[in-house]
Amino acid sequence: MISERYWAALAVCLILASACQPANDELPALIGSSTAVARETRLQRGLADHDTAVAGAPLAQWLLPPALQEISGLALTRDSRLLVHDDEVGQVWEIDFRRGILVKLFALGSRVVKGDFESIAIANDVVFLLASNGTLYEFPEGASGAQVEYKVHDTGLKKACEFEGVAFAPAINALLLACKTAYAPENRGQLVIYRWSLTGDTAARLTRLSVPLAGVIGSNGWKGLHPTDITVDPVSHNYVLVASQEKALVEITPAGVVVFARPLPAMHHQPEGIAITKDSILIVSDEAGQRPAMITLYRWPE
Amino acid sequence: MDFFTRLLTYVTFGSTRPIRRLAAYYGVLVVIGFLLFYFLPALDGLLSGEHLAQLAQTPSLLQDALAVGQVQAPAISLASRVEFGLSTAFILLSTLALMLPVTWVYMSARSGQGHNQAIVQALIVLPMIVAGIVLIVSNSLALAFSLAGVVAAVRFKTDLSDARDIVFVFLAIAVGFAAGVHAITIGLLLSFIFNFVLVLIWRYDFGRAVLEPTAASQWAEPLGDLAGKDQGGNTVPDRDLVLALTPKKVEALAERFERVRGILGKNGKKPKFDAVVTITTAALTEAQAHLEPALDDVTKRWKLDEVVTNTGKPSQLYYLVRTRKSVSRDALLTAIRASGNGHFVDAQVEIGDAIAKEAGEQRRERKKQEQPA
Repeated sequence: MISERYWAALAVCLILASACQPANDELPALIGSSTAVARETRLQRGLADHDTAVAGAPLAQWLLPPALQEISGLALTRDSRLLVHDDEVGQVWEIDFRRGILVKLFALGSRVVKGDFESIAIANDVVFLLASNGTLYEFPEGASGAQVEYKVHDTGLKKACEFEGVAFAPAINALLLACKTAYAPENRGQLVIYRWSLTGDTAARLTRLSVPLAGVIGSNGWKGLHPTDITVDPVSHNYVLVASQEKALVEITPAGVVVFARPLPAMHHQPEGIAITKDSILIVSDEAGQRPAMITLYRWPE
Repeated sequence: MDFFTRLLTYVTFGSTRPIRRLAAYYGVLVVIGFLLFYFLPALDGLLSGEHLAQLAQTPSLLQDALAVGQVQAPAISLASRVEFGLSTAFILLSTLALMLPVTWVYMSARSGQGHNQAIVQALIVLPMIVAGIVLIVSNSLALAFSLAGVVAAVRFKTDLSDARDIVFVFLAIAVGFAAGVHAITIGLLLSFIFNFVLVLIWRYDFGRAVLEPTAASQWAEPLGDLAGKDQGGNTVPDRDLVLALTPKKVEALAERFERVRGILGKNGKKPKFDAVVTITTAALTEAQAHLEPALDDVTKRWKLDEVVTNTGKPSQLYYLVRTRKSVSRDALLTAIRASGNGHFVDAQVEIGDAIAKEAGEQRRERKKQEQPA
């Protein structure tokens, strides 16, 4: 009843369509490409060249694709791979920051989760995404193209602050939640960091570190400080914060003593994420605005 | 289109029942969708409601801002433009595929009262426009406000005579929205469930007032008029019943009525024929050759009405005849059987006004008996 020509045409279409699928063996080819090798060599040379490097000059800067225009947080795995995420959708990318390669992407849930995701942290090989209301999404790292299951934790801090930064402090086995905008009266005028312990019962999990803002701002002339991300220096174990509104970089000790607070280089139009590698590379991410989204690498400490 | 129609006929084993054909249509759609999403995983985002297409876009090399010398917007590759165009075309075509069965159901369900062609065409085009608008607006509040302003400037008004027409228009908008937000699964389910519910409502006349007669009882009277005696005045059969006939059935019915008129004669005149002679025979030609001269002798007129040939059993000849008053039924039957010359298996005579004739014969007999007295 149905002409064989139609079936033949359908078969040809399907074969052509299957041929258009992206190959899965592209990553080794990309990593071994001359461009990637040259990029890594340049980064290593920049790291080693203490004498001739210009202070504050970036080691590398990668422009991000449209899907990452609202890049928000950065986190490093145990083996120093960089995971980043987008602001609105529960999707996590891996970026080879040394070579400038977008390695993989995986998503939360069988249907992609939507939320106001602000930061990412990796604690004991478990990934956490932080929403602005203090909700934490816990999930394992997924393979390329995977859709991983997740758990949700309510920290109970919805009325305390608006959050934009989370980091893992291995010394105390706790997540650090940086308060961007204080809602609770006791948090006003303070730089507040909540510690959410990964062990213990719910009631005893939370502790609070507050540092008077006046002492943090110092002579910088900022009207306040609105941290958009936090990370832990793997060497000193100090807390390093970045603030988008003030374009500030702040380092404090776990006890709350300010080490420094200074402006970021002018090229950062909207810094939203920060991470520090074990081999002393500071990574700062910027959302797209007047310029495209990007990640910038510096020597740490400068 | 012809190919698709044949495919549906093939899948439904030639069935013309609307529910089977609808089920076959959606089945074919699902199979096509499965093949597309299997061979083109990038389209999966259109089903899941999210842009999971990005999952297939890694790995890729990032642009080096320091090497470029100045920060530039990342170039959008030709492949992504092509993919964007293809996904948009897929979305718009999927609305067409989902709305086609809705228009079929609309035209079928409204065939009695007549459907509005403008609405049929709107049902096809409206979801495409809605999907396009949703794709343009995406998550932009500014674009949404701009759109509201533009739409407010364009004023249109139309009257829909039936509340059910409005429901169809709402469905078209909903399917358009679903496609526009990359949730074609919702659109598919909307179209599928809507159509089946509507066909079932239509089939069982759901929601009729219980005090009103059912469709069957409404049809009973005109059917009775059609088949029964004319009790003064010519009752016209139910209009819907006549409209429900297919052209082929109308032709067959007209042919039968023509035959009936031929038998009964024109209005105001006596019927041309008043009896049917049925001959059962194994030798049609010989039987005809022997019977027809006999009919010339014992009837006023006759006409061969129908020949039914059977395989494996005797065939039948049907003659319409006008009997003579002087020849009784028994005499007619005897003459016919005598003419058979062994070729007839059976012969029967059915006289239309047999009772009247019998009464007349009884009256004549009575008169004959009274006259000698």
